[in-house]
Amino acid sequence: MSALLQRRPAKTSESPAATGPRRRVGKAPTPGKQRRENLAAYGFLTPWFIGLVCITAGPLLASLYFSFTDYNLIGDYGWVGLDNYERMFTDERLHTSLKVTFIYVFVSVPLQLAMALALAMILDRGVRGLPLYRSVYYLPSLLGGSVAIAILWRQVFGAEGLINQVLAFFGIQGEGWVSHPDYALGTLIVLNVWTFGAPMVIFLAGLRQIPAMYYEAAEVDGAGPVRRFWHITVPMLTPIIFFNMVLQFINAFQTFTQAFIVSSGTGGPSDSTLFYTLYLYQRGFGDFEMGYASAMAWLLLMIIGGFTAVNFLASKYWVFYGD
Amino acid sequence: MRAHPGNGRPQARRPHRLLSVAAGVGAVVMAATACGGSGEDGVVELRFSWWGADDRHETTQQVIEMFEAENPDIQITAEYTDWSGYWDRLATSTAAGDAPDIMTQEERYLREYGDRGALLNLDEYGEQLDLSNIDPLVAESGDLDGQTYGVATGVNAYAILADTQAFEEAGVEMPDDDSWTWDDYVEIATQISEATDGEIVGTQSMAYNESGFQIFARQRGENLYNEDGSLGFSQETMEEWYSITEELLENGAQPSAAESVEIEAGGPDQSVLSTNQGAMAHFWTNQLGGISASSGGDIELLRYPGETTNERTGMYFKPAMFYSVSADTEHPEEAARFVDFLLNSEEAAELILADRGLPANVEVREQILGSLPDADARSAEFLAEIEDTIVDGNPPPPIGAGQVVDIIARVTDDMAFGEIGPDQAAERFMSEVEEATGGA
Repeated sequence: MSALLQRRPAKTSESPAATGPRRRVGKAPTPGKQRRENLAAYGFLTPWFIGLVCITAGPLLASLYFSFTDYNLIGDYGWVGLDNYERMFTDERLHTSLKVTFIYVFVSVPLQLAMALALAMILDRGVRGLPLYRSVYYLPSLLGGSVAIAILWRQVFGAEGLINQVLAFFGIQGEGWVSHPDYALGTLIVLNVWTFGAPMVIFLAGLRQIPAMYYEAAEVDGAGPVRRFWHITVPMLTPIIFFNMVLQFINAFQTFTQAFIVSSGTGGPSDSTLFYTLYLYQRGFGDFEMGYASAMAWLLLMIIGGFTAVNFLASKYWVFYGD
Repeated sequence: MRAHPGNGRPQARRPHRLLSVAAGVGAVVMAATACGGSGEDGVVELRFSWWGADDRHETTQQVIEMFEAENPDIQITAEYTDWSGYWDRLATSTAAGDAPDIMTQEERYLREYGDRGALLNLDEYGEQLDLSNIDPLVAESGDLDGQTYGVATGVNAYAILADTQAFEEAGVEMPDDDSWTWDDYVEIATQISEATDGEIVGTQSMAYNESGFQIFARQRGENLYNEDGSLGFSQETMEEWYSITEELLENGAQPSAAESVEIEAGGPDQSVLSTNQGAMAHFWTNQLGGISASSGGDIELLRYPGETTNERTGMYFKPAMFYSVSADTEHPEEAARFVDFLLNSEEAAELILADRGLPANVEVREQILGSLPDADARSAEFLAEIEDTIVDGNPPPPIGAGQVVDIIARVTDDMAFGEIGPDQAAERFMSEVEEATGGA
């Protein structure tokens, strides 16, 4: 440590140009102190930064490179140009996986947000024991993406699962919900809707921000609850709705665990739960086509990026940021 | 500690320094960790991976302990999963240069790894690994271009498992497997379902495993693959095979499409025999022990239908699994010693018995025949009985054959759910397998 401290001034004198043009605003601390503080800050940042470089940036760039090769995980590989990207146009399972993913995203996210908002509004009424309810409803969000819940889901919706036992009680012969192509995706959508806790908590915070006087004034003017909802709550909440929407859309596009566990990694039955990420995984790790899988990953990135961009552009027309 | 509020320029310069500091620290950390790792206390640590159900995990652990007791210089770490997770895991760890030293391989994947240089040529370790007693029927089955990349663990045949109690309950007589036809198979399965009102289903779907189709094609003088890895059967043959499944579904003689999805996902432990919900199922002979145990009933092995009524017989012996050694292992000699123990040690065989197929080492096989539990003794007997009827073996499956596992499940699902007919099923299977194996 003392060695480090001694070396530093010498280094500064060697490269005055580096610090020369730096302008300090206000009363600057002495260069030595400043430097020490910076170094400490960098020290604390280092673990995160190593993580960023090694775990995120490195693999990200590697996958971009691999997407132009026929990398197969084990052996040699070579440059194939745009072959992987061209192949996507004729890959029918890729198209199926896009369809499945889009249905999932566009059905489950609006439902989930509606659910979250509805519950947030109920809780906002000042229910006794609010913190408890808040935690209880938030809990699925913490668990929803986990393997354990996916296994539970498979059991609950299985041919002899809880749902069918309840149905049998009413004399209804239920299907094997997760093993029938008409319903399997539906059960996963229900699972996603069930994890409405995170947006709910954010909605709840947003609702708390709306001044009560708006409602009072509207009430005095004779606005009923429905009108108050559409003309006060919704406009005031649009930034929050927008934020939740962007976040949940991005999340939903990347759904993997639930589909992987519920379908035992097959995306079945009949590819009805073949999410994009699951297909990517099958290609990469099942079929050893990591080059193609990398290209798929970049397509997904472009889709999510493009979609989020559209979302932001569209937000100009409906999101109300007050004044 | 906000040093530069509102001033853009100095902040903009920061990332450079940040980068250089972080890169420096990062380089040091990576350099420090890169070449650590191997325990240097004289004990060699090896990892051994396999797939399977609970009983295999238990016995294999015991075998490992026995090996370690006899070889105090080697320590074996077990890595086991179920079948479906096994290959994902092996692929990932191999790609990361972290493959288990000794791994269990399978016919359809051996070439995938061997041809890409991920496996060790075991011929170079003849001193540690004695292959002289391996059954000639499977001795070369793990060879790629004349070099040994996998050693067969044992011999297996794909057959029909039939629960005698289920037949009794349904009041249906056991078929004579020396003369039964495919029509008999459909009829018997239908009778069982009808007689028990669906309580006991006639048979588990046979269409989720291409091994059964391979027998069917061989009975017609065709095969799944040709020597050069291309498809060796006609579309009509596969259509005919899928039509049998269609008929069974229509008759209620096999579980519904949705039920099948759940059953197949559960592996042998969830088969209709294991859960006492059906009378017949198609499995490998080495799975008889496990399935008999979970069923608790008396399960018999039957030859495939049509073995005596078609052009020729279709059943074949298959190397149940292979032991392979990773090309990346730091201790190839010790790894070869462990494989030698698994193959040639009588004590190990007394534990493994017929779980990895009837032992490939014929001497060891003789010695353990007497100690085989009832079910395995019967599969040994069964194999001995059919040995003379077997015409030939199969050419090694082409690269990409591992994908067929998923392809056939998908196609069969689509057909079972009524989205496509047997003709389209055959067509799709053929085009998808051709794409996967790159053959045409």
